[in-house]
Amino acid sequence: MNINKSNPLLLHPLNKWMKKKKWSWFPHQIETFRHVRTGSDVVVFAPTGAGKTLTGFINPIDDLIKLKKFKGLHTLYISPLKSLANDIVRNLEKPIKELDLNISFQVRTGDTTPYKKQKQKQKPPNILITTPESLALLNSYENAKEFFHNLKYIIIDEIHTFLDNKRADLLSLNIERLQTFSPNLQRIGLSATLKNKQDAKKWLCRKKPKIVSYENSVLPKIKILVSKERIPWSGHMATYSINEIYKEIMKSKLTIIFVNTRAQAEYMFKNLWLINKKKLKIAVHHGSLEKNLRLKVENNLSKGLVDCVVATSSLELGLDYGDVEKIIQVGAPKGINRLLQRVGRSNHNLNTPSKAILVPTNRFEFIEAKAAIEEIKKNNLDKIDLKEGSFDVVAQHIFATACAGQFDINDLYKEIIKAYPYKKLKLNDFKQLINLIQDGGYVLNNYDQFKRIFQLRENKNIYKLVNRRETRKYRMNVGTIIENPMLKIKLGTKTLGNIEEVFIQNLSQGDSFIFAGQVLEFQSMKNNLVQVKRSKSLISKIPSYSGGRMPLSTNLANSVRALLAKSNMWDSYPEQITEWLKRQKNISKIPKKDEYLVEQFPRKKIFYTVIYSFAGWHANQTLGFLLLRGFKEFNYKPLGFVANDYAIVLWSLKEVKEIKTILNLGLLDKHLDNYLEETSIVKRLFRDNAIISCLIERRLPGMEKTGKQVLFSSDLIYTVLKKNEPDHILLKSSYEDAKKNMIDYDRLKEILKKIDKKIILKKLTNISPLAVPIILEINRENLSKKETDEYILEDLENEILKEANVLSIN
Amino acid sequence: MYYQLINFGNEEFYAYPNKSLFWKRLNTLIVSDLHIGKSISYARNKQFLPPYDTKEILDKLFACLDKIKPSNLIIVGDLLHDVFSTLSLNDQDLKNLSQYMNNTDFIWINGNHDKKIKIEGFKNFTNYKIDKFLFTHIPIETSSFQICGHYHPKIKISHRGKTIFKTSFVHNEKIFILPSFGILTGGLDINSKQISDVLGKKNLSIYPVGQDKVYKL
Repeated sequence: MNINKSNPLLLHPLNKWMKKKKWSWFPHQIETFRHVRTGSDVVVFAPTGAGKTLTGFINPIDDLIKLKKFKGLHTLYISPLKSLANDIVRNLEKPIKELDLNISFQVRTGDTTPYKKQKQKQKPPNILITTPESLALLNSYENAKEFFHNLKYIIIDEIHTFLDNKRADLLSLNIERLQTFSPNLQRIGLSATLKNKQDAKKWLCRKKPKIVSYENSVLPKIKILVSKERIPWSGHMATYSINEIYKEIMKSKLTIIFVNTRAQAEYMFKNLWLINKKKLKIAVHHGSLEKNLRLKVENNLSKGLVDCVVATSSLELGLDYGDVEKIIQVGAPKGINRLLQRVGRSNHNLNTPSKAILVPTNRFEFIEAKAAIEEIKKNNLDKIDLKEGSFDVVAQHIFATACAGQFDINDLYKEIIKAYPYKKLKLNDFKQLINLIQDGGYVLNNYDQFKRIFQLRENKNIYKLVNRRETRKYRMNVGTIIENPMLKIKLGTKTLGNIEEVFIQNLSQGDSFIFAGQVLEFQSMKNNLVQVKRSKSLISKIPSYSGGRMPLSTNLANSVRALLAKSNMWDSYPEQITEWLKRQKNISKIPKKDEYLVEQFPRKKIFYTVIYSFAGWHANQTLGFLLLRGFKEFNYKPLGFVANDYAIVLWSLKEVKEIKTILNLGLLDKHLDNYLEETSIVKRLFRDNAIISCLIERRLPGMEKTGKQVLFSSDLIYTVLKKNEPDHILLKSSYEDAKKNMIDYDRLKEILKKIDKKIILKKLTNISPLAVPIILEINRENLSKKETDEYILEDLENEILKEANVLSIN
Repeated sequence: MYYQLINFGNEEFYAYPNKSLFWKRLNTLIVSDLHIGKSISYARNKQFLPPYDTKEILDKLFACLDKIKPSNLIIVGDLLHDVFSTLSLNDQDLKNLSQYMNNTDFIWINGNHDKKIKIEGFKNFTNYKIDKFLFTHIPIETSSFQICGHYHPKIKISHRGKTIFKTSFVHNEKIFILPSFGILTGGLDINSKQISDVLGKKNLSIYPVGQDKVYKL
């Protein structure tokens, strides 16, 4: 082949090993090698199984062999997960050992022993594999410059997972620091396929930026579970299909069942276990489980010792579980990228398609699943929005910088604004962040004698840490991932994992709940340890975890809308779905893909307004609240609202007559500030901001709360600050975060901009078939836990179905 | 001003939403655990809380004194957070305080946080007795009725699947515990061992403090 003749990799030290394995180089590996060799920063896009990890190491290994006995750190490899870092080491070990290459490599994460870390600092390996947090820590040591001054390459693995969160901010700042230490440093990014590849390039590359891309031509085989049971109208637990899911597990050698929340994982696991007549080996895996339990499951999975693992996004990334035959996605896919990532966990062989089955847990999810499959066929991926850098991460970085030694604020500022997320960081904001680290940055400046960092008298631009003891505090607080207050669960002396404090507060002694796949009875809570024992109780609660609820992606939402409108497709759907949509068409309307259907109907003397906005949960939640205020203004006496990914329903005592006047862009300007005030959103984000910026200390699970109360309630600080210094930089930062993440501000704005011209208003006498799912959700949310008796629910459901005249298509 | 009537030791007391207690018959206002200067104390450990607590506490106290015009003010301990707290009192604050003392008799009972601290013009006491009522920071062995502070009581309320904590006034037959009048002060669950050891678990009268109202459980 022509390409082989000119393939420079045939002379590469690894070529011998490739030949032995009877593997050949991929075109994208050759291309990457060429670009990097000629001094480019590169982002490589390739699917799993296309030798991505190796691609990153091709140039570093070549270089190291040419340099002969290079002393010190040469290449840094950043992985998003600790477990992945270990996996990379194993993969790197094979060729290096077999070829007996003189290259040293080690891993450094939060799990590395202090002894080993110390040794690494004295005698660094050629290649270090680490995480963004560990890199931040390394940069905070006094010898950081010396440690990194010869660094030639930094490889960022799974870069697509870093682009839209605060971890990306942290990483970007630390990459710029490395570039300062070692100006010749070259950057290599490895990514799954992305829609906006240019954005990833902008984020990472500085020198002669290049994109290398390899598209997989083999499409995954994705089906929707064909069920003999009826698909529920609402709900998220897929209980209806449990037997059919079980049959699917039996058919395959090894299956991963992905669910969307930890609660769903526990629930699914419990239900599978109840019907596990064949004694299949089923395990559960999610982020709150104790590390050892998780590692055990991962190990069993890679050795093929289990038949099925129920998992959340905790198993989404990286690790090569070669034997996984099938993926079952229970619940809405939420986004194309996410679904592809999950589906890609099966069959890591490029030439055979991955296999997946989608299990919608309600009727809208069926449409969503169908839409997702269509989009994957068209390779229409979600766009990942780069985020603008958050202030709190800069504050943390300033603190880290001070820990490494005295610094010039002008140099630091110049370095920070080289990082893509901080291109627009204003000098004034930066200075406020310096003050924040110095003494809290309050206008009432009375902590003069207690500063954490201070200006040198001879040069006011140079700051220095007051006391080396402070470095410890930085190291305790490093990182941008903040969990809700968690408590450790102990069964006897064994730790099972972490559970949210809020959940435990709601339990009484003797209550049982499901965790780590077991039914447990709550016994006591002492020193922030939750003592439990095994229970045989049949009634048990399932811990819910706040946050982490992913909204439907805009891309997928658009295709759901488009698909809904395609009535010629309906006949291919299960009869109950077809019937549901047909009746909707007769009674009300199926909105066209750019229309916004609004339905209004009375029910039991209350007036309902349903808006099919398809804006995703976050934006709908916000919209619901804004409308509530709007309705109040018009004196419609609104009582409440419920939102999901697809729609919002509001109910009021008076008929809403002016919906078109209310539902437009004016809503945002008028009521958004009130919304932020009245809900706890900003308050919650303030907590994250206060911890990330090191204003208050991070509370780790199991850490003593009593005794010397150094741990401080961020709510109190928030309230005092808001009253006395509403312009404080951390409040500003929390508002920005709220706008960006929790309320999906931009998305809502886009919709509201065009909505008033596209509203299709339907005044009905009864509930419409399309409205049934969300109307049922009202009743679910408003029933207290004790009342959530199946009878009541069923009764209610029947009543509503009857009203909507869809009982027969049950 | 809205108040909740509390009967304790056959006397009537008014509990206000600002967490003060008023003994109408003797025209005496009672507050506890102000922890003035807590933020300064934390700042020494480089935990930079907003330095507005002192101002807010004093504003709240002065507003209350203006409204009620009591002849006595009893502070049942922990007026100050620690020895460094006086740093957060500026000259104007001290001037204001002494002006209020012209009309109101300040009785400062020392708590565990402020037992060694002196401020010019303030009278310190370890405890103080009026009729059958003993005012003391932490309850002691005695046959008297006691009015105390120290514990910053809060009550856990679970309702409709939600759990909230509310700062509370609480008493049993003999011992009354005030909530903290401070701003950056946390609280201790009434069901915790520390409070149960003092009040027991039964026959407690609990008064959670709401936004503008003191409730009764």
